[in-house]
Amino acid sequence: MPEITVDARGMACPGPISALTRAYRNAQNGDIIIVLATDPGFKPDVQAWIEKTRNELVSLTEEGGVIKAVIKVTAKK
Amino acid sequence: MANRVIIVGGGGGGAILANLLQPHGFDVTVIDKSTSHFFQPGNLWIAFKGVSPEKFLRPIPSLLKKGVNYVNDEVVSVDLNERRVTTRSGRSYEYDFVVLASGAELDYSAVPGHRELLERFGDFYSSPENSLKLWNTLRGLKEGSFVIGVADPIYKCPPGPHKGAFLASELLRSRGLAGKVKVVLAVPVPHAYPSKTVADILEPELKERGVEIHTFFTVNEVDNRENRLVSLEGEDIKFNVAVVVPPHRGPSYNISPAEVKDQSSYVKIDKYTSNVQGFDDAYAIGDCTNAPTSKSGVTAHLQAEVVAARLLGYDARYSGRTNCPIITDGKGTFVISDYDHPPIKVRLSRFKRLMEDLFVATYWSAVKYPEFWSPIFKAYFDATDEFIRRGEGW
Ligand SMILES: Cc1cc2nc3c(=O)[nH]c(=O)nc-3n(C[C@H](O)[C@H](O)[C@H](O)COP(=O)(O)OP(=O)(O)OC[C@H]3O[C@@H](n4cnc5c(N)ncnc54)[C@H](O)[C@@H]3O)c2cc1C
Repeated sequence: MPEITVDARGMACPGPISALTRAYRNAQNGDIIIVLATDPGFKPDVQAWIEKTRNELVSLTEEGGVIKAVIKVTAKK
Repeated sequence: MANRVIIVGGGGGGAILANLLQPHGFDVTVIDKSTSHFFQPGNLWIAFKGVSPEKFLRPIPSLLKKGVNYVNDEVVSVDLNERRVTTRSGRSYEYDFVVLASGAELDYSAVPGHRELLERFGDFYSSPENSLKLWNTLRGLKEGSFVIGVADPIYKCPPGPHKGAFLASELLRSRGLAGKVKVVLAVPVPHAYPSKTVADILEPELKERGVEIHTFFTVNEVDNRENRLVSLEGEDIKFNVAVVVPPHRGPSYNISPAEVKDQSSYVKIDKYTSNVQGFDDAYAIGDCTNAPTSKSGVTAHLQAEVVAARLLGYDARYSGRTNCPIITDGKGTFVISDYDHPPIKVRLSRFKRLMEDLFVATYWSAVKYPEFWSPIFKAYFDATDEFIRRGEGW
């Protein structure tokens, strides 16, 4: 199961979600995408993205100002 | 012997740089595969107002100062170690400094069905010809929906699709079709515009004009048989006429070493100095680079000034400043930000629309005589930089 890490630290909104979109385009069901971001807007954005796309948010954590979203790709057609 | 500077591309960035350097005794050569320069924002006027494409086209040599060499040829490779640029006709050029200013390339083969969509309807991104085609297409649209979609979050002029939506709704209203043809704008980001601050200004204006907005919609397929756009996020939108902003890429010509290109082929540069990563005699400016700022004519222009100053021995740096205009039917605003500050809240006003119209009117002169216009632009940028630093709108 490939794991793709997207380092979007330092990127302003909507950089992190755009980086996730680009990674998602190349991903397949079963893949794990990990996004690291420092923009506070990323938290609500990634939750909204999950709701829209119906992929699985495995975890969403924050440590030392870095937000980490672990996403399991399940909804690609 | 004068320093030989080769500039690849005579668009906004390349032509301004050539004109800034020529008076200082550089031996400047601009290589462009095209014989004419087209003012890309003009595409919107062709597609939605029926303005003649000739208004936005000028022969490249007419925009270059006397003394700048112009070569009409396509660059096929740039060897940064050997300091050599090679063209399609087989010629090669040695340089002391090279500046890549070849713009972004549009990829119509990345999204299935996209090329066919372009051939059916035209668009307002690729060329004056395709913009004219869209104008003619819209002439035949009497009911249903006109959809503007985006295939990748990184594209030139971030407000481009929004400007298209505003102008399309204005056009339809003027033809008495406001209730009959719906304008739909689909964007890949969570809000109506990439920056939430700007989205908050634009969204009510778009809604007021009846524009339907879809967020998190990254076009992934065009189904030309059933006339629908399918998104990466799993939604679809039906259309009668649609335009999709294609994925953009960096240069397709060969550059060695290959590591100076990123995954999307953009040239990796130092975002402040525009130096190609690892080379102090090579620069890249404008839409062909990976600088983390908007792909816009303003960026290309400001980077050209920085490179010119650096070649003259000054320690100039680009702040990442953007000034992307957004126009509605009658009003205007700007997306103003830099590397360290997100866009600020800039009110829509008639005065800013006038500022944009004035800028458009001065474009050709600003390309040919940048030394005259630079102090005027600089005064404006300095004054508005203050607002960015304070995080205030105006
Ligand atoms: C619809 C639309 C609206 C826009 N509105 C605005 C706006 O309001 N404000 C703003 O600031 N920006 C706007 N832009 C963006 C702006 O036009 C571009 O960002 C700007 O033109 C970039 O300049 P450049 O010099 O990097 O590239 P370009 O102007 O694209 O020039 C690149 C040049 O390189 C040449 N070239 C390419 N490859 C080769 C090769 N292999 N060999 C030789 N020559 C080559 C091309 O022929 C071209 O002449 C808009 C763009 C569009 C499409």
